[in-house]
Amino acid sequence: MKKLISMFLLLIAASLSYQVQAGDFAEEKIVLQISDPNPFKQTLVLNVASNLVKFYGQDKVEVEIVAFGPGLRLLFEENVNSGRINGLASSGVKFAACKNTIKAMTKKLGHAPELHSSAVPVSAGVVRIIDLENKGYKLIKP
Amino acid sequence: MNHKKKLLVKAIGVGLLTCASAAQAANWLMLQGTEKDGQSARAKLWGFVQVQYQNDRSSANSGDGYIPPKLIGPNLNSQSAFNVNRARIGVRGTGFPLDNKVNYFFLAEFGNNGITAPGDRNVRITDASITLNHIPGARVRAGLFKTPGAEEGLQAIHVFDYINFTTVTNQLLLERFPNSNGSYDAAINNAPIGLPSPTGIGAFDSSVGAFRDTGIQVFDTFKVDNWEHSYAVMYGNGNGLNFGNGDGHYDTYLYWSSELVFGGKGGRRQGLKMFAWGQSGKRLLDTTNDTTYNPESYDRDRSGLGFKYLQKPFRVSAEYMQGKGMIFVGQDKATFDINPAVAGGNGEEGKANGYYLEGGWYIPNSKWEIDLRYDIYNRLTDDTPFPAGAPPAVAGKTFEMNFQTITLGAQYHINKKTRINMEVSDRTFEAVDWDSGAGPNANLDGVSQRYAIQLTHVF
Repeated sequence: MKKLISMFLLLIAASLSYQVQAGDFAEEKIVLQISDPNPFKQTLVLNVASNLVKFYGQDKVEVEIVAFGPGLRLLFEENVNSGRINGLASSGVKFAACKNTIKAMTKKLGHAPELHSSAVPVSAGVVRIIDLENKGYKLIKP
Repeated sequence: MNHKKKLLVKAIGVGLLTCASAAQAANWLMLQGTEKDGQSARAKLWGFVQVQYQNDRSSANSGDGYIPPKLIGPNLNSQSAFNVNRARIGVRGTGFPLDNKVNYFFLAEFGNNGITAPGDRNVRITDASITLNHIPGARVRAGLFKTPGAEEGLQAIHVFDYINFTTVTNQLLLERFPNSNGSYDAAINNAPIGLPSPTGIGAFDSSVGAFRDTGIQVFDTFKVDNWEHSYAVMYGNGNGLNFGNGDGHYDTYLYWSSELVFGGKGGRRQGLKMFAWGQSGKRLLDTTNDTTYNPESYDRDRSGLGFKYLQKPFRVSAEYMQGKGMIFVGQDKATFDINPAVAGGNGEEGKANGYYLEGGWYIPNSKWEIDLRYDIYNRLTDDTPFPAGAPPAVAGKTFEMNFQTITLGAQYHINKKTRINMEVSDRTFEAVDWDSGAGPNANLDGVSQRYAIQLTHVF
């Protein structure tokens, strides 16, 4: 019985820990959409993410950039902004890459695009945005 | 190959790979020949317009006439004129944006200058190239584009800090090509002529080289800490914008630069850059000034080295250049010979050298910039003298000439894309072996200030 209670408490603790990591204590949760081929939009979305982290503080804001369609180029491994992406990732900004777009680009390229190490593939960019909105994130499309 | 050597080769390979991707778009080679990885547009429309007014205050020569350099180019028919000297529009980018490894660059000239004036062309393609970035450390650019060389020619002209080129760049590097049929009107190689009926001065029938050539170039940039090292090797027709390879020989271009980067980006990035370059080729030229086309092949070699320091509010740069063969000796001398009747004044096999030293001060907290430049060009430095048996007035004399210019300029930056350049150039030109008023000095004595104002807008 004691073992069962211990395991139960451990499960609760693990669950709480996960939720804390997921940013429940953040004051603001923002999802930024990049789906545009315009190169200036890449710079802009990174600037917005950077400004959000600076304004609220790294611990008080959750920022996730969701890239799909032509906007996925932002998360290409050789993108000229890869250094900035590294910096933002170390500040807690997350990057989601749409698997549908990856699949379509793989067809066009003849091979899968090489993505930045911080990019986390998600089943569909637009679905990821809806999920995050349901979790209280505000959608911003710079 | 032993194990250590294999490791070294691998390390160098990995190093090159790392450097090649890290140093993207950081200098003229990269700015003009590549696009930003993962960020370039399919087709970015861009261009610039330059409108200017120039006024030459030189006085008439002893024959009461005016010839270059007392007339305003490219038309050479007056001493003052408004001009749309550059109006360029182009597109660049990555046609298939998912593939970072291929990009293109296209630009056309609609302005009135040495590119379009010969042959009365309304438009001329100045750049059309494709770059393949597949091989680490060896990007390949093919087509028509700026050749790797002197800073004044290689840099983007819309960020050039002056209106007129230095004399050494204008005469030694901005190539005038031999006329294709070699048939010259004897009257063209003539004495000074007077305003207002100046005909026959512009004797060249094809566009100036515009520091460009059609060919293939291997190049790249490697970043080591705050340094960027770049190289380029090019093989081209040696025919500027004129396409074709009529002389049957190809030109070779070599370039190296090392730059300590202080910060910033694009055409006005701050740093200390040192560079050296060399060009070698041949040209077919008919020097006989008659109606029979009997050309011969002449060497054309150019080389130089220099530096550019830019850390606001200061800029200092200097460059030394030298050349052998195909030395331009006048806009009316398409034979490259000042006087076909004598052994001297021979540009096709002559030598020349020169340098410039210039600096700028960006006035803090203002939109103004002050520029000062000194340049000198020594033309036909090993010219053949008139023989001892010649008349005393000319015996022992050569056609070596010395062109010195001091240019004081100011720039007012209306916004990031629009600026006004103003400059006054004080010129002292002389044929070194001749007394004042004698020989070529009969014309050069009167050369004096030239005033110029130019409005540039980039879009």
